[in-house]
Amino acid sequence: MRATRKQDISTPRGWLNAQAQDVKAWLALAAGLGILAGLMTVIQMGALAWIIAQLISAETPLKQLSGAFGLLLLVIAVRALAQWGQESAGVEASLRVRSKVRTYLLDHLAAVGPVGLSGRHTAGLGGQLVEQVEALDGYYARFLPQMRLVLVLPLVILALVLWLDWLAAIFLLLSAPLIPLFMALVGMGAERLNQQQFVAVTRLAGHFLDRVRGLTTLQLFNRADASIDEVFSAADDYRRRSMRTLKLAFLSSAVLEFFASVAIAVIAIYVGFGLLGYISYGPADELTLFSGLLILLLAPEFFQPLRTLAQHYHDRAAALGAADGLMKMLELPVSTPVFTPDLAQESSTQSSEAGACIRLWEACVTYPQRGRVLGPIALSIAPGECIALVGPSGSGKSTLLQLLAGFIKPAQGRIEITPEAQIAWMDQRPWLVHGSLADNLRLAAPDASDAQLLEAMAQADLEELVSALPDGLNTRLGERGLGLSGGQAQRLALARVFLSEAPLVLLDEPTASLDADSEAEVVIALKRLVAQGRTVVIATHHPALMALADRVLRLERGTFSQHGTLSNETR
Amino acid sequence: MKPDNKGSFLSDFAPWLRQLRQRQGRLWLGALLMLLTLAAAIGLLALSGWFITTTAIAGSLLAVGAAVSVDIYRPGGGIRFFAVTRTVARYGERLYNHDTVLRLLADLRAGLFAVLTRLDGRSLGRLRAAEWLNRLTADIDTLDSLYLRLLAPPLASLLAVCGIALLLWFFAPSVAVTVLMTLLLAWLWLVLGQACLGMAASRRRVAALDRLRSSTIEQLQGLAELRCYRTLGMHRQTLLAQEQELYRDQRRLGRLQALGNAVVGLGVSLTAVLALWLGAGLYTANTLSGPLLVLMPLAVLAANEALALLPPAFTQLGATRAAAQRLNRLVASRSDTQEAENPIGPGKGAPGIALEGVSLRYSNANRFDGDHGSPATQSLLVPALDDVSFSIAPGERVALVGASGSGKSSVAQLLVRLIDPSAGRVCLNGRDVRELSLSGLRGCVGYLTQQTELFHASLATNLRIGNLQAEDDMLWQVLEVVDLHDWARELPLGLATWVGESGRQLSGGQARRIALARVLLTQADMMILDEPFAGLDEATIKRIALRLDARLKGRTVLYLNHDNRYLPGVSRTLSLHSGRIVFGTE
Repeated sequence: MRATRKQDISTPRGWLNAQAQDVKAWLALAAGLGILAGLMTVIQMGALAWIIAQLISAETPLKQLSGAFGLLLLVIAVRALAQWGQESAGVEASLRVRSKVRTYLLDHLAAVGPVGLSGRHTAGLGGQLVEQVEALDGYYARFLPQMRLVLVLPLVILALVLWLDWLAAIFLLLSAPLIPLFMALVGMGAERLNQQQFVAVTRLAGHFLDRVRGLTTLQLFNRADASIDEVFSAADDYRRRSMRTLKLAFLSSAVLEFFASVAIAVIAIYVGFGLLGYISYGPADELTLFSGLLILLLAPEFFQPLRTLAQHYHDRAAALGAADGLMKMLELPVSTPVFTPDLAQESSTQSSEAGACIRLWEACVTYPQRGRVLGPIALSIAPGECIALVGPSGSGKSTLLQLLAGFIKPAQGRIEITPEAQIAWMDQRPWLVHGSLADNLRLAAPDASDAQLLEAMAQADLEELVSALPDGLNTRLGERGLGLSGGQAQRLALARVFLSEAPLVLLDEPTASLDADSEAEVVIALKRLVAQGRTVVIATHHPALMALADRVLRLERGTFSQHGTLSNETR
Repeated sequence: MKPDNKGSFLSDFAPWLRQLRQRQGRLWLGALLMLLTLAAAIGLLALSGWFITTTAIAGSLLAVGAAVSVDIYRPGGGIRFFAVTRTVARYGERLYNHDTVLRLLADLRAGLFAVLTRLDGRSLGRLRAAEWLNRLTADIDTLDSLYLRLLAPPLASLLAVCGIALLLWFFAPSVAVTVLMTLLLAWLWLVLGQACLGMAASRRRVAALDRLRSSTIEQLQGLAELRCYRTLGMHRQTLLAQEQELYRDQRRLGRLQALGNAVVGLGVSLTAVLALWLGAGLYTANTLSGPLLVLMPLAVLAANEALALLPPAFTQLGATRAAAQRLNRLVASRSDTQEAENPIGPGKGAPGIALEGVSLRYSNANRFDGDHGSPATQSLLVPALDDVSFSIAPGERVALVGASGSGKSSVAQLLVRLIDPSAGRVCLNGRDVRELSLSGLRGCVGYLTQQTELFHASLATNLRIGNLQAEDDMLWQVLEVVDLHDWARELPLGLATWVGESGRQLSGGQARRIALARVLLTQADMMILDEPFAGLDEATIKRIALRLDARLKGRTVLYLNHDNRYLPGVSRTLSLHSGRIVFGTE
């Protein structure tokens, strides 16, 4: 076991053990207390056997044994405390590891950034992150501490039995070389269970969810009733197939049970025969009631740590599966230098009435597989200017915005934005969170007052909506802003822009997903934004938005085709 | 989480216990096997202790030359019997009970699915949220282990405790009574005490995990905004606070479970010591033999195995109860669209339809929304229908156009009774659709929904949802209408090609066309086609429109679309704006 522990962290197992480094102390405490509890069990059994032997063989009066009874009670109490401590320390280790791994992963994904995550199913990724981090629980809380107990306690018991009666120890020892075999058997069983069952169970759950999701369709085609039978037979079919697997998988632990039971039986019969004097060979004639009874009581304890480990083996399998998924997330390439959010207030925005000034010197953006996607670009934007970026899709409009936002770094050239402050960002997919309207707005300005929120809503033409709601700003939105139309959701995101005092506003096709009516409403609100004197850069196809701009810049294959095209409307 | 303590504890579980009763025989047998395993473990240790002591006493007598006869074969045989029984019974018990649990899972899934099939369109729409679906499966999984975690172990361990007391009763009734009392006390603590102390925290667990999950997803989806506004740190703090809230409960539960496990060891060991102490009193008074004195504490020690199953199950009882309550709410939810008492058939041939002063307002009721803040704003923000009237003659083709959210899909849902109007009447052939049988109505009206829903099944299976009896050549015909026959012919598996989860291996346009083909296969007398050409390029649309025109001959058709371009054979266009008919052109 020890030799394989030094695996590199590129395997799931090595990675799991690397995470354990930070909670070494808690894991050691858990293992230490577990060993203490085990030793107390040994002493308890010893005391029991000694008291019985004193009563029966030495015919000691009960009164003289009260000291031994007192010791017994003490040992039992210490054992219970140690057992509680062992499990609690394991829980603590697990909580700490999970919290740390989650923070680490979130930091990594933040560094991967919105550009690196684009095209990924972020909802799936987020759900996976939560589930898989939680799936690490049992490995640290139970499996790892138990792994250490398995290496120590059976040896202690074996040594004690060896001292009491070496022939009995041999019975235990005979099963000892089998222990790695047990482990392998148990492991194989668990692995089989995990691989096959997990796939099958996921498929079955998928089938069920698929039918639930499509229930309206089934109703419309009059197929709902027939589908009930289908759901049942899918589950029943799964049962029949998985029982075949389970028959084998359960065998491994049955073998372990069998050896434990047989060891007790063999030792009981050996000790009994020895005590009767039927066995003249070896140490059997030296057996006493005390040593015989103690050996009997210790025999099940010899196997107990291993049986417990077998119970926790699925924790290991679950953690290995989860580690595999989490490591894949960590393989996502980081698009900006590791970005660690400062947990202190970072929104100390110097609100500047004037807009930001932007200058780009021959900036280029390259991607590993696609080569240069933008540049070289030289650009100077004056404070308060409104720029429209136009061009066919794939021409680099979004890339330029992402560069300005700092999501990607230029491969060559330089970029300078003054003042370095908050940036307002909005794209075609309005980002809304679970929570109230106010919660959604305060994502841009955590300290904004209700009056400021209402003003921002008014500027985004959402005044009527708020006043129609009985709970006003405290009205909660459902999953992904359920209950708001596309235009309303986009204007809520726009209200956020108004609320922030960011001198630079970046808008990536803000009206692309809207129908004509909603689009017109958003354009009116955008007009108001441009008039505020902030620097605004809009990537768009829409003529109405181009009309807002002081300059329209056309991008083609990553470079400007025409420079400084002043729009007819000068402010 | 609402502190919902209205229903009593037992009434929360009552429906599920009733469902378990259908498999009563298996449940009793499974519990019996569990008890047999425990009994064998007790027997093995107790008999071994008795045997060793008997032989020790006999051995010491033999040593001083006394004539003693000891029967060594029966106890030896007994020990071997118990050893083998324990192994075999345990193996059989695990296998048998897992089989039972999987049967229960099938029962539960099918039963709940049957409940869901009776829900109306609006409830089903709400249910599509991924979060809700995940919780539903998790809840079903929690409840299918009800028997294996919460029913069989406490029953088997209680019987084992009583069995131990009964065994001791034959030798020392006074000791038996004391042992019964202390072990029962431990049992009660492990069942009731653990459950009570863990109730609140374990009930909160699912909701806390849901919150953490949605915050994590939000953070990943909003990275651009959070980084630009420089509020990622703030959002992270919210997320970490939610994590800590979850972990506070997990820590509490973890320690509580540790306490339960410690109580098992403590209770059993103390009872064994007590049995030894009391037995020793009887032994010194010569009313109890030595071997029986040893048998008693050893039999008690074996109770460890019986009680050890209880703490993990009962500490988490609150989570199981919360799952039961959520599913109870789901089962209790009533559909708005009830079938008429004496439903009538829709009549033959292409039907005429009419909406007469139809209004639709969404009620605020959240029937099974669980613990989360519900989209209560829906009723206020989603456009409903407002006094809509129009009619379509048999065989006529009408286009209803309007922006998304103008209420077009609501009209379709009213016609097939996925929802019912708040006011006014929806008529088919002059009869209110509420008087018609649901299956008759839906057999008469084919409806291509705006959202494409394909199943994880073969292409043929997906098409045959439209018509179970359709021959292969019929499938090829409709595939030709939607211009997919060449594509399908080139697939190595042809019609047997598996369509990925929710049809994801297909492009959006292909999935859309398969959904259209599926509706056409029904040969319904009326067709409602909601954005039939969404996501298709112009050339394809033109090809399909031509064949569709022929296919729709003689049927009543209602198109729902942004505009009436390309829609074949439209005789009239109605325009819907914010739930009102704005104008109609002949």
